[in-house]
Amino acid sequence: MPRWFTQFRLTCRSLFRTKRVDQELDEELQYHLERQIAEGMNAGLAPEESRHAARRAMGAITKSKEECRDMRRVNFIDDLLRDLQYAGRNLRRSPGFATLAVLIMALGIGANTAVFSVVNTVLLKPLAYREPDRIVTLTNPLTTGPALTALGVKLVSILNFQDWHDQSSSFEAMAYYQSAEAAVMAGSTAEYARATKVSPEFFRVFAVEPIVGRFFTDEEMKPGSSGALIISYAYWQSHFGGSARVLEQTVRLYGRTVPIAGVLPPGFGFPEKTDLWRPVNTPILEPTATFRGGQNYFAVGRLKPGVPLERTQAEMTSIARRLEQQYPEFNKGRTVAVARMRDEMVGDVRLTLYLLLAAVSVVLLIACANTATLLLGKATARTREVAVRFALGASRRRIVTQLITESLLLAFLAGTCGLLLAYWGSKALVALAPANLPRLTETGIDAWVLAFTFGMSLITSVLFGLLPAIYASKVDLHDALKQAGRGPVPGGGMVRMRGVLVVSEIALAVVLLSGAGLLIKSFVALHNVALGFRPENVLVMKATVPAPITVASQFFKDVLSQIARVPGVLAAGATMVPPGNVGSMGPYYFDHMPQRLDPSDPSAVISVVAPGTFAALGIPLKRGRDFSDRETSDTPFVAVVNESLVRKSLPGEDPIGRTIFCLFDSPKAMTIIGVVGDVRERGPAREPIPECYITYRQHAYNGNSLSIVARTVGDPTALTETLRRIAHERSPDVPMKFTTMERDTSENVSAPRFRTLLLGVFAGLAVMLAMAGVYSVMAYAVSQRSNEIGLRIALGASTGSVLRLILGEGLALAGLGLALGLAAAVATTRLLTTLLFQVKPNDPQVYVAVAVLLGLVALIAGWVPARRASKIDPLTAIRQE
Amino acid sequence: MSKPKDLVQGTLDLLILRIVALEPMHGWAIAQRLRQMSSEVLQVGQSALYPALHKLEQQGWIKAEWKISETNRRAKYYSLTRAGRKALTEEAANWERLSTAISAIVRAV
Repeated sequence: MPRWFTQFRLTCRSLFRTKRVDQELDEELQYHLERQIAEGMNAGLAPEESRHAARRAMGAITKSKEECRDMRRVNFIDDLLRDLQYAGRNLRRSPGFATLAVLIMALGIGANTAVFSVVNTVLLKPLAYREPDRIVTLTNPLTTGPALTALGVKLVSILNFQDWHDQSSSFEAMAYYQSAEAAVMAGSTAEYARATKVSPEFFRVFAVEPIVGRFFTDEEMKPGSSGALIISYAYWQSHFGGSARVLEQTVRLYGRTVPIAGVLPPGFGFPEKTDLWRPVNTPILEPTATFRGGQNYFAVGRLKPGVPLERTQAEMTSIARRLEQQYPEFNKGRTVAVARMRDEMVGDVRLTLYLLLAAVSVVLLIACANTATLLLGKATARTREVAVRFALGASRRRIVTQLITESLLLAFLAGTCGLLLAYWGSKALVALAPANLPRLTETGIDAWVLAFTFGMSLITSVLFGLLPAIYASKVDLHDALKQAGRGPVPGGGMVRMRGVLVVSEIALAVVLLSGAGLLIKSFVALHNVALGFRPENVLVMKATVPAPITVASQFFKDVLSQIARVPGVLAAGATMVPPGNVGSMGPYYFDHMPQRLDPSDPSAVISVVAPGTFAALGIPLKRGRDFSDRETSDTPFVAVVNESLVRKSLPGEDPIGRTIFCLFDSPKAMTIIGVVGDVRERGPAREPIPECYITYRQHAYNGNSLSIVARTVGDPTALTETLRRIAHERSPDVPMKFTTMERDTSENVSAPRFRTLLLGVFAGLAVMLAMAGVYSVMAYAVSQRSNEIGLRIALGASTGSVLRLILGEGLALAGLGLALGLAAAVATTRLLTTLLFQVKPNDPQVYVAVAVLLGLVALIAGWVPARRASKIDPLTAIRQE
Repeated sequence: MSKPKDLVQGTLDLLILRIVALEPMHGWAIAQRLRQMSSEVLQVGQSALYPALHKLEQQGWIKAEWKISETNRRAKYYSLTRAGRKALTEEAANWERLSTAISAIVRAV
């Protein structure tokens, strides 16, 4: 038997079979005693005498029993259990204190756990694919400067991709894909499904295998073939009831019947919860781009085992350099960036999440300071108890251990409550969070979160418990016992320590409040920014026509003219993507196409719209006219541009009548017929850039899917059913999706709203806790000094002067905290710079507001105790002493 | 009888191990044997003996079992474990070294 096992067995035995072990010890010693007596009798003593002699010889039996137990090292655990019992009794004896402390800490721990559960899911958990560290994304960024749109950086063209694929050796598989909401027929109902076109190696990148059926055959992946579909597990369950005969079924996708080849395992839905995957080479309605400049796809790859990311990046950089020389008109200044998929996915949200984690830990620190203040109060009240225990021979270590045990018990109670709070809290976070936060829906309480909460409880118990415990253990026996019968004595150190705690609470609250103030001001600015269109009272109906483009154009034309006649509709139009989003970007040229294109040519947002769109969206027409129903692919091509484009490329000229080329689907010459106001297409935080509007009947690319926008007199959602009926009567095969322009626009600012709201809530919590801190310190000071104050009143001090005295002290503390906090805030809020819009991190207005708010809070918190002090009856106060 | 003051710290452990190495023995017998073997020089009281026994047992150097004693009563018999035998060898060697060193110094003076 190994030694550790013996020891473990013995320890367990000592712990759990205490009675038995004690009995054995008794018996062992009893035997020794008997032998001692027998020896005495052998030596000729009388039995009684011998017994006495033996007892004397044996000495203090109890003491040696205790030592035997010590040797078995179970006293430590015994002590712990006893301390826990004692701590529990103590907490029960002051339920008010216990509840308050547990609540404060539960709030702190709960908020931390909730935020951590999100951070854990989004940033820390590995992706749920096989060997996810080998999965990378490939992008094609410009080295010459920042991209005009965030998406523009990530998209790659097929021809560039082919060269990367053929020339690199670091990858086990490399694929490109494009995802869209596709029109499908489920029985007789038209609906949307998320469909993704994938290149042949796509599934090998993720190392998934179908659980039913097979992958695409070579035949199905050939250009021009009718193709096949692989469906997600979720789609299999919802549309085919998980039937094993799913492989005999088909899906009507964009009006074509496509067979099902396989079903993927549950949980796989890359990208964007895809329902249906199909080979990229089977064009269904959309043409396949064969233009190197057409960046429309995302690229992913799986590294060969053991190939480091750096080597891959080096290889891709040299390939990019070759392609740059080979095709300068598309690739000049372009490189290839390889990033781990997880890092790439969380790129934008990392800062926000770390910010929230930092903010919420500051709240926890304040909560700790608060609880420490409460415990210090308790420690003072217990000075005598501790002194008596010292006097009875308890060691300092034992007393500190006992007090720490109390903190531990508090912290674990709080941790348990906090976990409950976190459970609700993380649900609220998920509901509030911007929809583009990746993987958020997987958020939950897992082993890591539990470990985090446990660790938090442990750390906080030390944070808030150690100081009061050390303080209590330094009790001066002599003084403390001398005070018998009187109340506890505040040492000078005690008051100072509480002062330090409350000052740091205020300082921390000021930092949080300043951060929240900056974000709020920035959010207000973001909210008030002129978007360039009026989102209120606009109904948005997305519709996709699963038919050739001519049929689709006719559908939209008919439906639009019918909608325009609906009572309550002021104007109706249609657009490829709703405003506030960039659908496409491309270079533009005047008068004639240049011989050679260059990636640094000026480029514009290209928006496909129907006549009436400007009026429906409230985009002001500055010069010329809107599109009309007369423009078709047979009539001369026309375009409308925005003011930015005119300012940038035609300053001081009349743009009307000029010829422009906007590279979208065809390099056709277009005549500019109008100029409209600028729209912030890249989101409210970014300046408008040149934009070229073209009309849907002259540009077929992606023209099957448009969002109809209708400006209404009243609540736009009231017309949902009318519009649905109109479209359905015209064609029952067209799926539709409704939203309002306001909802769509507010989703554009959901990320700043999320962080502003949360930081605001945390700052509010911090201020409340700080307020409670000021109050408790002041109330304590007043209660300690009641006799001095009574004396002052007796000697003629007025109510006002007592009020001023006490309030002054409170405000001095607050002022110190405020000054420290503002200094810290100025130093730390610089980290927020990239999150702020039209606000500098050292915005004086925000800091003044913070100072005023905190001053007010301190005043209110100090008022109640000051008022109580001024009402002290001098007679009672003096007699008390 | 109390803890012998002149017994160097840790020496009692060595003595107990040495005595128990002879045969399984109960506490009383160990004390007696210790006295006899040291020609009445070393007398160990129960207040030192039993904690030491329990410590050695907890350390896994000796193991205990209940047997019927020579007086026909139940008694707790201690015997050496394998780890204990190893420890005894080491401790004895240590002691040998130490005592030689001390003697050398003491004689030199």
